[in-house]
Amino acid sequence: MTIPPAPTALRGSGVRVSTGAALVGALIIWVALLGPLIALLAHLTPSSVVSALRQPGAFQPLEVSVLASLIALGVILLLGTPLAYLMARGRLPFPRLWEVGVILPLLTPPLVIGLLLIFMVGPATPIGEALSHLHLTASDTFFALVVAEVYEAVPYYVLGAAAAFAAVDPELEQAGALLGDGRWRTWRRVTVPLAAPGLATALAVTWARAMGAFGAVLIIAYHPFGLPMQIWVTLQETGLSSALPFALVLLVVALPLPVAAYIWSSRARRRL
Amino acid sequence: MLAADFEVERRDFAVRIAIQLEGGERVAVLGPSGAGKTTFLEAVAGLVPLTSGEIRLDQRRLSSAARPRSDIGVGRRGVGLLRQNPGLFPHLTVLENICYPPGANPGAATAAAARMGLGTLLQARPRGLSGGEAQRVALCRTLQTGVQLLCLDEPFSSLDRPLGLELLELVRQELEGRGTGSLLVTHQLQDAQAFADRVAVLYQGSLLQVGDPRELVLRPKTALVASLVGYRGWLRRGGRLWAIHPDLVQISSAVDGDGAISGRVVGMRPDGARIDVELESEGEWVGRFHCPFSEAPELDLRFSFHADLATVFSGVESDLD
Repeated sequence: MTIPPAPTALRGSGVRVSTGAALVGALIIWVALLGPLIALLAHLTPSSVVSALRQPGAFQPLEVSVLASLIALGVILLLGTPLAYLMARGRLPFPRLWEVGVILPLLTPPLVIGLLLIFMVGPATPIGEALSHLHLTASDTFFALVVAEVYEAVPYYVLGAAAAFAAVDPELEQAGALLGDGRWRTWRRVTVPLAAPGLATALAVTWARAMGAFGAVLIIAYHPFGLPMQIWVTLQETGLSSALPFALVLLVVALPLPVAAYIWSSRARRRL
Repeated sequence: MLAADFEVERRDFAVRIAIQLEGGERVAVLGPSGAGKTTFLEAVAGLVPLTSGEIRLDQRRLSSAARPRSDIGVGRRGVGLLRQNPGLFPHLTVLENICYPPGANPGAATAAAARMGLGTLLQARPRGLSGGEAQRVALCRTLQTGVQLLCLDEPFSSLDRPLGLELLELVRQELEGRGTGSLLVTHQLQDAQAFADRVAVLYQGSLLQVGDPRELVLRPKTALVASLVGYRGWLRRGGRLWAIHPDLVQISSAVDGDGAISGRVVGMRPDGARIDVELESEGEWVGRFHCPFSEAPELDLRFSFHADLATVFSGVESDLD
C-alpha cells in the first residue's frame, strides 16, 4: 500500500518530531517481530541442519504436516467459502450468532479446543462412534491431526474471506446477472476474481496457522508427529540445538506460500 | 411489446404502473426524486418482486405476483439496465467487459465499440476511463446481450449536461438502428423530450399522465403535472388557477384586449446568459411568476401577457396543494 505524503501545511517542526518518534517506535516493533527469525538463523549452522535432516525418518514429520495441512486447507476452503460469502452478503438468519460461532475458536486457547474436541469427537462420543463406522478415529491419528488443524485455522480463513467478499460491490454482481449470467457464473466470473486478493491473503494465513497448529494437536493428535510436534518432542528429549533445524524447516515450508500470496495480493489490488 | 400492469409495495408508498410500449418505442419516465422511477425500472428488470399484477414482454410473462410466482431470471428476460454507476468489471479490460455477456460475438462487439468511439480503448482498464467513456462501454456491453428492452436509470446524470445529452443521442441512435424499445428514467424534461416518443409523468408511485412529449407540456391534465413539466407561474383569477410556462410568455408593451394579463417587473437576476425576470400581475390576476429574458428590462416596466397562452385549471384548490 502506498501512503500519501503529508500535506505541506502539516510539515512543521512539531510534525517532524512526532513523525521521527513514530518511526523509531515502528522500527523497534519491526526488529522485535523479526528478532526470533534472526536469532534462529544466528544459532544454526549449515552442518547442524544437514546433520538433523539426515537422521532416519527426519522428513516424515514434514510430509505429515504438509499433507495434513493441505487436506485441512481443502476442507476449510470447501466449507468455509460458502459460509464466508453468505456472512458477507448478510444472507444468513441471525447473523451475529454465525459470527460468534466463527470467532469462538479464535478466542478459545488451542489447548482448550483440543480438550473440547475429545468430548465432541473422541472415540466414546456419538460422533466418534459414527466415525468408527467409517474406520476413522479422531484420537492420535492422521485424521485427528487434520481435525485439530481445521479447528485452529478455520476462523482465520472465514473471517478473511468474508472481508474479501464484503469488499466486492454487490452492484457488480447484479451487473453480471443483468448481462445474462446465472448466480453461479456471476460468482465465478465476477465475485471470486474481485475477491481473489483478499482470499489469497486469507488462505495464506490459514495455511500458516494449519502448518503451525500445536495446542489442539498436542491433545488429540500426539501421533503421528507433524513438524510442530516433532519440534516439541525433540526439544524435550534432546534439547534446543536439535530442535532448531526442524523449526527452520517449518518456517521454510510454511512461510513462502503466505509471502508469495501477500506479494501477489498486493499487486492484484493495485491492478483493480 | 412491453405490457406492464403491476404494483410494488414500498416502505413509503406503493408504485402502481399500467403502461404499454409498442415495438421499438422509447418512453421517458419523468418525475421528481423518490417518485418510484427506479422501482419501476427494477421491477421490469426483475430486480424487485411484484406485489400484484404482471409484466409481459412480447407475450412472455416476465413477472407475475400470481401464485405460483413465475419470474423469469434477471439475465434471461431480454431486459437490459444501465444505471448511473456503469458497473464495469475492474478486473477486465474494456474489450473483455464488452464481450462479457454469454454468447457475445467478439467481432460484432469490437465493431460496435469502434462505432461508439471506443476503438482505441479496448485494452484499457475501467479505472483509467472518464465517466463518459465508462458509460459508453456499459452501453456497448449491454447491447451485446441482444436485449429487446433497455432500461436507462438516469445513466448520464453525473456527467456534464452537454456530454449527457450527447450520450443520450448516441443511445437513441443505437436503439433506433436496432429497433430496441427503451424506458428512460429522468427528472430532466429536456432529456425526456430529446429521447422519447412518449413521456410518462410519475409522482409518488402513480403515473399521472402519459403522452406526446410536446403535447404533455402544452396540455398538462392537472396542475401537479404542469408543475412537473416546467410550469412556474401560478395566477388565480375568478376561482380558477392559471398555470404559466416561462417558455410561452410573450411580453408586449401595450395592454390590450380581454383576457390579457397585465403587470410589472418586480425583480430580476442572472440565469446563465439570460435574465430571470420576476413579474407581478395586476388587477383581477393574483400572483407572481418568473420568465427568462434575453435582455434585462427596467424595473417597474409594465407588460401584458395573453392569457390564452396559460393553462387553466378549474378550481383554485388544485392538486398542488
